[in-house]
Amino acid sequence: MRAAPRRWLLVLVWLLALAALGIVAIRTLRISTDLRSFMPPPETPDQKLLMDQIGEGPGSRLLLLAIEGAPPERLAALSRGLADALRGDAHFEQVVNGAFDPAALDPAWLPYRYLLSPTLDHDAFDAAFLSDQLQQRIEDLASPAATLLKPLLPRDPTLETLALAERWSPPKPPAMRDGVWFSSRGAALLLAETRGAGFDPAAQGEAIDALQGAFDRLPDRGNARLTISGPGYFSVLISARTRGEADRIGAVSTVGFILLLLFAYRSPALLLLAALPIASGALAGVAVLAWIFGAAHGITLAFGFTLLGVAQEYPIRLLSHRRAGEDALASVRALWPLLATAIASAAIAYLAFFASGVEGLKQLAVFTITGLLVAGFSTRYLLPRVLPARFQDAAGTRGIATALAFVERVPRPAWLPWVLTAGALIVLWRAPGPMWENDLAALTPVPEDLLLRDAKLRGELGAPDVRYLLVLQAPDAEQLLAFSESIEPRLAALIDQGALDAFELPSRYLPSIATQRARQARLPDRATLEQALAEASRDLPFRGDLFTPFLDDVETAKTLKPLSPEEFSRSPLGARLASMLVRRDDGWLALATLSGVHDAGALAAFAASTHGQARVLDLKAASESLVVAYRERILRALGIALALLALTVVVALRSVRRAWHVIAPMSLATLLVLVVERAFGLSLSLFHLVALTLAAGLGLHYALFFERPVADVAEARRTLHATLVCIASALLVFGMQAWSSLPVLRAIGLTVALGVGFHFCLSILMARGRNAAEDRS
Amino acid sequence: MKRTPPARTAFTEVRFSGLLERPLILHGELEYDGPGKLSRTVTAPYRERMKIEGGEASVQRGDRPSRTFSLSQAPELEGFLRGFAALLGGDAEALQRDFDLAARGSMSAWHLKLTPRDARLARRVTALEVDGAGTSARCFHTREADGDVNVLLVESLADAKLPTRPTPPMIDALCRGIDAR
Repeated sequence: MRAAPRRWLLVLVWLLALAALGIVAIRTLRISTDLRSFMPPPETPDQKLLMDQIGEGPGSRLLLLAIEGAPPERLAALSRGLADALRGDAHFEQVVNGAFDPAALDPAWLPYRYLLSPTLDHDAFDAAFLSDQLQQRIEDLASPAATLLKPLLPRDPTLETLALAERWSPPKPPAMRDGVWFSSRGAALLLAETRGAGFDPAAQGEAIDALQGAFDRLPDRGNARLTISGPGYFSVLISARTRGEADRIGAVSTVGFILLLLFAYRSPALLLLAALPIASGALAGVAVLAWIFGAAHGITLAFGFTLLGVAQEYPIRLLSHRRAGEDALASVRALWPLLATAIASAAIAYLAFFASGVEGLKQLAVFTITGLLVAGFSTRYLLPRVLPARFQDAAGTRGIATALAFVERVPRPAWLPWVLTAGALIVLWRAPGPMWENDLAALTPVPEDLLLRDAKLRGELGAPDVRYLLVLQAPDAEQLLAFSESIEPRLAALIDQGALDAFELPSRYLPSIATQRARQARLPDRATLEQALAEASRDLPFRGDLFTPFLDDVETAKTLKPLSPEEFSRSPLGARLASMLVRRDDGWLALATLSGVHDAGALAAFAASTHGQARVLDLKAASESLVVAYRERILRALGIALALLALTVVVALRSVRRAWHVIAPMSLATLLVLVVERAFGLSLSLFHLVALTLAAGLGLHYALFFERPVADVAEARRTLHATLVCIASALLVFGMQAWSSLPVLRAIGLTVALGVGFHFCLSILMARGRNAAEDRS
Repeated sequence: MKRTPPARTAFTEVRFSGLLERPLILHGELEYDGPGKLSRTVTAPYRERMKIEGGEASVQRGDRPSRTFSLSQAPELEGFLRGFAALLGGDAEALQRDFDLAARGSMSAWHLKLTPRDARLARRVTALEVDGAGTSARCFHTREADGDVNVLLVESLADAKLPTRPTPPMIDALCRGIDAR
């Protein structure tokens, strides 16, 4: 018998080692939240674009803002204040609220207006054109717009600056009030483009905090409030809600779990000690992740901790199977062959995930295998040395004898499994709804009212659709812009047909160099322009030398080097174009946004007629194909895992017949879970598959232990006790999740809870039956 | 000088601007339809119709489609309109809220100077000045920050005969009721 002080010393050392491991792991591991690292490598060009788009696309990084709850002039002032504050904020690429101030333009860029504005495509700066323009300027001077135009006039009498500002404003700008955008319901509207990726909840969270902070610091806010919408906001909202609910459910089920173990083993000390192996496994898993990958995805950790739930069985088995008067080490030695089989088969099965080729799944495999091995070995070699010598034999637990007697009496007709299998296959065949859930969004649904609000705001702001994109392709930037110019009239025709509401091509911001050169060629030289101007203003009261800055600018513009996309991107207005152009190894791509697509067919027909130079990218279809590809990889990994697992069990038990008794109930139970979920019309997602894997891991334990030949009735009672504690704890934890309002948690909870039930029943029916009969004979 | 809307008057507008070598002279009709509602029709030397309603101004010239813009983009107009509306509406309270007031002269020739309190408006417009006699105003000066001055001659002065190149002192004298011709 071990001396108590030595036991406690060992516990202390163990705890210190865990603490050290935890500190190292937390210091070195970076948690990534970018969903892309949990997605399979994209294969088709559309999928590749989708992956770029998810992070970098202009649509996904836009936040739609509305300020309401105050008089319009107050809201307009708040809108201006917020836009000014955010323009200096590193989280945002650009912020627009409709206000245009020509004075904000860098004068060095101004001469370029003659190369960028389409005016010279249809007009020449001759006396007739200038005379008409100058007459209009006289009228402008006497009009209310005078103060706005006066500063521009000497430099820009044809108002090219305003023509460009109009061309560059959103395709369908919202109504203007007090100089900024307003919705039809009287809210000031803004668009903010974040620097961070759209589906990176951490980056978006920072941006949204900065946004809310800037709004809160505005003076004289009164009752005005800020409403935020857009994909980035939703990803933040969903991840916060998921975490919140997971935390609440986790807290409740942890309390339940503790009470259950207290009830089962009647010792708080035992409870704490039993938690050590799984804590060791989890921390070791995190440390190994940090060591190998440096970073782990949040989803990897969430799934990993779920899958590691299997390891809680190891200490429970040891506690329940300990015979009265027996040394803990002796009883673990007796259990070890079976436990080792369970650990090895699970670990080997998870190797299949490692081979899946998906970064997130590789991390999951490393974490889970490490966790299982560490939890298993610490249960074998450490836990028995710290367990107290005094304990209650589980075989003596009140009611367990009755329960065992009941289990023994259950009829076990040999035909039942076959009938169940046949029935299951029929139900599976006839089940309503699609078998698989391909829509990523269905798993993290945004509340209906928020979606409606988003659609309304999007409509008012004329913000582009997040679903359709027009992808233009060309060998170089110049050809890309030239092609973009060439399809502009054809897309305008599609708008007239009602196929879409608006589009935004890169050539809207920057014409091709050829076009810029053509415009440059049409600019008159200084002497000609001077003469035309003198003729045009002969009868008008303008001061004689007023338009010298205009003459200077035109002269400068005539010798400017045409702008390339790189140069344009450095301009204050270049961010928009930069976000539309993608440079690839094999050429250039442009992502042109479309708004209000009413007739996807007409758009596709247009794209087909360009011989592949323009393609319509349906982001929804691309993301679904990605999910399908991903699932195929998981299914293949699961198939291989199952084969490996069967092989391990056969080798460990050294008998195909015994292995069959273990694997058959496990497989049938997995099938039955699928059947029940499908019969209720549930479509299966990746989360269901992960949960099925966990349930199968638990089922393997039940079958292995029930199948094990036992020496006496007491041992059979201990097996039943251990299994009941395991099942009750699994039902408690995952049954709670099954009630969650969030589909992800519900999918996992429901699947595991159902699985645990089926695995238990079928293990009794199919694994236990034969042995119980053999024992008695 | 309170007026019940609708009130209308012919006008002559003289604009002195640093961009121009001689002032611009317009003729037309003004119509005041109550707070925030004003329309101005220019008949000579060109035709234009401007309507202000609900914080927006829409301008239509000749046969061209009308253009709409927000009043806040033209704060001097907004300020002018507010002062104008408060004067015509007899709303002394609103007038004192938006402007610092200074009055001089007599009932037969009075002069009222309105200096905007709002900083945004003051950046563009330094003062509004109104000249009148008895219960009727006849001159509205808008003094812009860049030195440009816009003078609106209404009611008794609406049809005043002006030389082709009037000077600011000439117009000021006209407004004060001194016949400078």
